Amino acid sequence: MSTSVMIPPTATPSQANPATGDIRLSFPRIVRSEWIKFRTLRSTVWTLGITVFLMVGIVTLFSAVVASQETGHDARGSSVFVFTLAADLAQLAVVVLGVLVITGEYSTGMIRSTLAAVPRRLPALWAKAVVLVAAIFVVSMVAVGLSVAVMQLFLGSKGLAPDLGDSQTVRILIGTALYLTAIALFAFAIGALLRHSAGALATVLGLLLVVPTLGVIPWRPLQLITPFLPGAAGSKILLPTQINAMSQGGVGAVLGPWQGYAVLLAWVAVLLTVAAVLLRRRNA
Amino acid sequence: MIEAHGLTRRYGAKTAVDDVTFTVQPGKVTGFLGPNGAGKSTTMRLIVGLDHPTRGTVTVNGWRYDQHRAPMQEVGTLLDAKAVHTGRSAYNHLLAMAATHGIGRTRVREVIEMTGLEPVARKRVGGFSLGMAQRLGIASALLGDPHTLILDEPANGLDPEGVLWVRNLVRFFAGQGRTVFLSSHIMSEMALTADHIIVIGRGRVLADAPVADIVGRAGATTVRVCSPQATRLGELLAGPGVRIASSTPQWLEVTGRTAQAIGEVAAAARLVLHELTPVTGSLEDAYMALTQDCVEYQSTTTGLHPDHRGADLAPASTEGATR
Repeated sequence: MSTSVMIPPTATPSQANPATGDIRLSFPRIVRSEWIKFRTLRSTVWTLGITVFLMVGIVTLFSAVVASQETGHDARGSSVFVFTLAADLAQLAVVVLGVLVITGEYSTGMIRSTLAAVPRRLPALWAKAVVLVAAIFVVSMVAVGLSVAVMQLFLGSKGLAPDLGDSQTVRILIGTALYLTAIALFAFAIGALLRHSAGALATVLGLLLVVPTLGVIPWRPLQLITPFLPGAAGSKILLPTQINAMSQGGVGAVLGPWQGYAVLLAWVAVLLTVAAVLLRRRNA
Repeated sequence: MIEAHGLTRRYGAKTAVDDVTFTVQPGKVTGFLGPNGAGKSTTMRLIVGLDHPTRGTVTVNGWRYDQHRAPMQEVGTLLDAKAVHTGRSAYNHLLAMAATHGIGRTRVREVIEMTGLEPVARKRVGGFSLGMAQRLGIASALLGDPHTLILDEPANGLDPEGVLWVRNLVRFFAGQGRTVFLSSHIMSEMALTADHIIVIGRGRVLADAPVADIVGRAGATTVRVCSPQATRLGELLAGPGVRIASSTPQWLEVTGRTAQAIGEVAAAARLVLHELTPVTGSLEDAYMALTQDCVEYQSTTTGLHPDHRGADLAPASTEGATR
């Protein structure tokens, strides 16, 4: 380090004037900055890679097993329910990414650089959300596309591959990406609220995986709330109607695919609003 | 120009910055001195909006920091060398910071070159030494070619060459009519770098004056006198307000009389003088004198005085307070 060339300051600032362009803050530029931050961390590459791997892996396993069996036992629409399982697994990776995108800045101190560059603060939060949503949606759609191709390969001859002409199938396929995107944003909002990686991750996983199991306790208020939990509500969008109908007759409400998804989005909206208010108020 | 008016920041019962008013002038290097916990960093964080004032205002060139269209072009800040994501390379960090303002890759490479970061620019920041992290922080501050530089302990962790480089850099910036506000613990470095000093203690401004004034005001201008008739001269000089110390024969250390006065007394009494040297106090002496009542974590008294938060309300040493 000490051997590095130190250019004397007389040859330094402002000679090459960067102010030749229009130097100022703008939202598209902040989004660009957040995109650079997003793609230059290994954790991003890893979690997105794992998301794709988990989804395609589960679908491949399922397809291979079904293909090896004698009979195509059920209607063709039913093979698509594997995406519920795939999304359940993939959400773990997506949640980690959603949380780390924001808490990683708090744990390293980067947030102070970010907020010094964007002192109005909220544009930085929204830009992060935009980048996260775009990236997760695109990557999930790629994973879904690969999965469909795999199913076509294994199950096409049996007539069990997803039928892209069927509206429910298309809803489930796109719904898988929509669900993962919303869950990532949900994790992001909690990360922004708690500003602590481990705490936020535990909270998100608790809300998604642990709290819903409390629904088995036969206590009416609890059973009424359960369908409105973020995971349970949001995942309706990738549940085949026939399976969803099976939960009819229980205590709580049975939400339709889009109703359920809207409930998840409402969770996200409320949490993000609180996170935004706190971001403005709190010290960085 | 940075202007603070009645700036106050409380954290619960603790007042970190207490009704602070000052102006940092352009074209000068203004040093910001104070003991640990005096409120230096908090004041700097308030300037760039990382912290919100409980009361009072602070503006940079007439506007609150967040009201500027291009904050990074207005103010370059280094508040914390470790305010960087450890998993990202220095180059990508700077690229992302620059992107917020539409600052191009050319400038990113420029600041990397200026701060001597080329050999490590592609390495992840997590493995950086404090000195390298400090250089990265300075590089980031320079990205927007800012009108105002705010540097908190920029020399921290730098090698002597780096310290010299920072000094030249800030002098050059000030020479161009820009505003430079920097804090440092290294008093000798500050004496060489700064034109103007603001001393803060327990959240209050203790002094705000040119370096020479601060040093002069420490008062302790001593005159060293060497004379074969030192004893006789000592008798003649004695009087109210005059202190004379003699550690070795023929040598006197006189406080309270100017060199000129001593020379005249000696001449009138036909005494031989071998040496007559005014010794001005150092910035360090002046600083110690100003802040001795305000050191929150004083090493010599550890354990003697529990740190009473209420003591913040006691009048701090007002000696030299100009506002």
